[in-house]
Amino acid sequence: MGSSAKRKKEKQKDFQKPKLKVGKAKAKPENFTDTSFRSKAIVLNQQSLQLAAPTSSSQFSHHLSLLSSKSDSQRRDSLAHLTTSIASRPVNSPLPQPVSVMLPSLLPLILDANNNVRTALLKLLKTLPSNDVEDHVAQLLPYVRAGMTHLAADIRVSAVEILSWMVDAAGEAVVSCAGGWIKTFNCFLSVLGWHTEESARWSSNRASFGKSGSQGKPMVKVLGALAGFLDAGIGAPGTSVDDTVSPDDPSSLAWPFPLCQTNQHMISESAAPYAYLNLFGQPRDEEGEMYETREDRYRVFSTRFLSAVERGLKSAREEGGELGRASSSVSKVLKDALSYGAGP
Amino acid sequence: MVKRKLGALEKVEADLPNLQHKIRRDPKSYIEDFRAQHYQYESHREIFMAAPSAATDTGIISLRELIDFISHVADCYPEILKDFPQQLIDMLMQHHLVLEPELREKIVGSIVLLKKKDLLDSATLLHTLFPILITTPSKTLRALLFQKILSELRQANSKTTNHKLNRTMQTVLFNLVTSDRTSSKALWAIKITRELWKRQIWTDAKAVEVMKEAALSENEKVIVGGVRFFLGGDKEREDMEDESSDEETLDIGRLRHTLQINKKSKKKARVAEKAMATHKKKERKKNQPHPLNFSALHLLHDPQGFADSMFTKHLQSSRAKLNLEQKLLVLQLVSRLVGLHKLHIMSLYSYFQKFLTPRQPSVTSFLASLAQASHDLVPPDVLEPLIQKIANEFVSEASAGEVATAGLNAIREICVRQPLAMNETLLQDLVMYKKSKDKGVMMASKGLLSLYRDVGAQMLKKRDRGKEASMGLRSGEKEQRRFGQQDIGGIEGLELLEKWKEEERRKRREEKGLASDAEDDEDEEDDWAAWNIEDDDDSDDSGEWINVESDVEIELSDSEDEGKNRPSKKSKQDDAEAKEKEKEKEDAAQEAKLSTLATTRILTPADLAKLAELRAQASVESAVNGSRSRRAAQPAARHTDDPLTAAEIEGLASLSAGKATREERIAHAREGKPDREEHKSKEGRRRERKQEQGKSTTNKEKARRKNFLMTLGKAKSKNKRSLVETRAVLKAHHERQKRGGKRGNLGN
Repeated sequence: MGSSAKRKKEKQKDFQKPKLKVGKAKAKPENFTDTSFRSKAIVLNQQSLQLAAPTSSSQFSHHLSLLSSKSDSQRRDSLAHLTTSIASRPVNSPLPQPVSVMLPSLLPLILDANNNVRTALLKLLKTLPSNDVEDHVAQLLPYVRAGMTHLAADIRVSAVEILSWMVDAAGEAVVSCAGGWIKTFNCFLSVLGWHTEESARWSSNRASFGKSGSQGKPMVKVLGALAGFLDAGIGAPGTSVDDTVSPDDPSSLAWPFPLCQTNQHMISESAAPYAYLNLFGQPRDEEGEMYETREDRYRVFSTRFLSAVERGLKSAREEGGELGRASSSVSKVLKDALSYGAGP
Repeated sequence: MVKRKLGALEKVEADLPNLQHKIRRDPKSYIEDFRAQHYQYESHREIFMAAPSAATDTGIISLRELIDFISHVADCYPEILKDFPQQLIDMLMQHHLVLEPELREKIVGSIVLLKKKDLLDSATLLHTLFPILITTPSKTLRALLFQKILSELRQANSKTTNHKLNRTMQTVLFNLVTSDRTSSKALWAIKITRELWKRQIWTDAKAVEVMKEAALSENEKVIVGGVRFFLGGDKEREDMEDESSDEETLDIGRLRHTLQINKKSKKKARVAEKAMATHKKKERKKNQPHPLNFSALHLLHDPQGFADSMFTKHLQSSRAKLNLEQKLLVLQLVSRLVGLHKLHIMSLYSYFQKFLTPRQPSVTSFLASLAQASHDLVPPDVLEPLIQKIANEFVSEASAGEVATAGLNAIREICVRQPLAMNETLLQDLVMYKKSKDKGVMMASKGLLSLYRDVGAQMLKKRDRGKEASMGLRSGEKEQRRFGQQDIGGIEGLELLEKWKEEERRKRREEKGLASDAEDDEDEEDDWAAWNIEDDDDSDDSGEWINVESDVEIELSDSEDEGKNRPSKKSKQDDAEAKEKEKEKEDAAQEAKLSTLATTRILTPADLAKLAELRAQASVESAVNGSRSRRAAQPAARHTDDPLTAAEIEGLASLSAGKATREERIAHAREGKPDREEHKSKEGRRRERKQEQGKSTTNKEKARRKNFLMTLGKAKSKNKRSLVETRAVLKAHHERQKRGGKRGNLGN
């Protein structure tokens, strides 16, 4: 209706001549693109220029603060700087900053998304003196456990690596601190997928979710760490490396004759001698409890984990290959521990 | 090993939503993964608990995400997550002050989610959320918690009323209000109660008790909250109900029609189905019995005590620190209670004394409160000085028109409730203002006059009494009521029913050719028979009804012996007639006499239905009839529950305010009419309406709109027709007309 006139008008519009007027700019064509640009510059009014270089300690704390930086490479570089400054300090001199100051910024990096950061972190941790580490195991362990059960396989692996370093550095502290035995063991089982009968079978797709990197080498690492952990926890006293506390060690000899075993009655020399009383923390349940002696740990292990571990080891052995070989080291530790039994 | 291709989702390192999705589909095979995540959560929680405030979430997965994940799949692994709800509750209860806001909200949401999944009962949920609501300083958290608590309560009461939960919650609120009267925390109790009252979830006396305690608190905000609830809560509830009931009432017939005509598509069918479903639901709702809800003022246990303590605490005592607005609210509530429950607070009236001057701010509210507080059991000598004061202060030749109007209106409103409070000289004085030039004053004065024509005509001068009142006075029927005298109760509209019955009976008798005045019992029996069908077959059962007739004669009206009875009735006809005549004589007296219909006869359901109908009809008639009767009926039409507002006292004061400007007049004229967007012809408006109803145009319309060029050809050819052709066309047209159009409507 009336469309023909309309269409005609429309058609004519296309062929209309642009009207040019004197004194006015020519109309821009329809497809005109504005290509003009403006540039801007940032001007620094002030610069802090100093002749003296910052002291090493101030640099150290600066880099410590940079650990929470957003950029991956910054974190990694700061870690590397910290590592070199700790490693290159004069022998027997104290750390630039105490471990208790460094740890709060180091701990979250255990769960860092970047691989390089985590390896740099491990390097840094390895430079720390082991007796300092011993006192802070309780702080470290929750992060390590969180890492061990992380969805990302790489984080799991590096957490296991950190754990094995911790076992090497302070094995007794790791297994005896609060929650250190049962909870960590649980994490091990979950990493290995040995919790239930069903999931321990070789045919089931274990550790099925997340990025699959859990086959082969990572598992070997986990098994190695487990062997170390078991050894530290319930290994037969004579065989383990760090458990060579002889009844007549120098501290007991320091007391003159009539006094015997006096050091048992003295205040312990460890950093938190009454930690087991848990005076200020949350109430603990069975899992979070401290298991300070080998007997306790062995009892818990045999009731809770023994069957699962044996089952898992069996299936690992059946799988053969590198995994089977790695499992044999665990079996050896286990056999020793079992033969030693609950205790002397 | 060849590098495996990774799916898009697998590339993401830590993809909890994906895992959640998988777990929901197959909980059993992903138990190991879940366990790992649970350990992850446990260790994160441990880290968090060690330093709740310093929980800065670094890394890819935060505690918040883990909590979200676990609570979403919580119903799949109930035994692993036995203490998960308790952990969340502890976390929230202990650390809500220092928690990071996002995490806090996530925890609240997760707890509610767990409740939804039935891993937590609603009492625990409310006991967790409510204390935090009261104590937290964070505004956003309070808003969130309030909303969650409300929705939880609504949800718990959605199917059936959860009495147990309601009771515990009401007790908690009551304790909150009563425990610390000076704190403003009780506002939360008020908010919750008011909201639930509005939604008709709480309608019982306990909720009212909470509000009563709030009104008696010592914190101004709480007091005002409580008082406002009593003054406006019920109105709010009604509005809410109206809103929900009259959403859109879609015409189901039209819907069906358009569905038939328009193009059919799956979407349209779905829409129509949905509409049908809602319609059906609404119908069902309509048939349900209306929930009987008492207003909050009626549910008060001890109105006298409440009003007394409100008055002494907030108004009379010198320590009360309310401002004028708040005081007015309290005064409104107290006076409303006094008027509604006919309470006695003698000091209330003397309290009014000092506020009754035109200079007092918002004096009309005070006047309205005073009128509200007077009822027919207030001693007249208490009210008399007040009326005198109003008359002296407000009503004089010198005062402005509005002021005098307000004063006269206030006096009338008081006298409607207690007519004895007026003395003769004052009344005659005030009535004189009916000659005032100011329109507002004149009308207010006339209002007072017409009131006293009704209730106390002998106090008026003879020439003011009017015809009806003076006739009533002479016959001695219109007497002034004594103090405390009450109306004799009756059934409203019963005389209408009686009259109607009489007429019906007469008609039936006339049809049968019998004398129109005689009575018979048949119709009653028919009535009952029509209503109870099951009684129909055993006629002797229904026959044993004893019908008590209006002339006090008791007789058995069995259907079998009706034939036998008939002659006796005929004989009785005479004295019935005589009685009828007598009745007509004392026509006026009969009006006032209480109808005996209800006392002598059992009303059938049919009677009651008819009664309601007649009543409605009568009210419509009285509204349609002259304005005079309507004006007289107005004060009576107001429900006793309704509050008296300051606007009513001001009344027609606007009339005496001088001429309105043109804009005001236009606005006033426009007020009554619904908005009309533009002026259009009737035809145009009809067309528009048709179009929006989805109807098509008529053929005429189509012809009119047809493009001119399309008609051109036909017009040209019309000119060239031969005579024969023209004849044929005309003939055909004529034929078609006779048939009734192309298709014809003769049915062949």
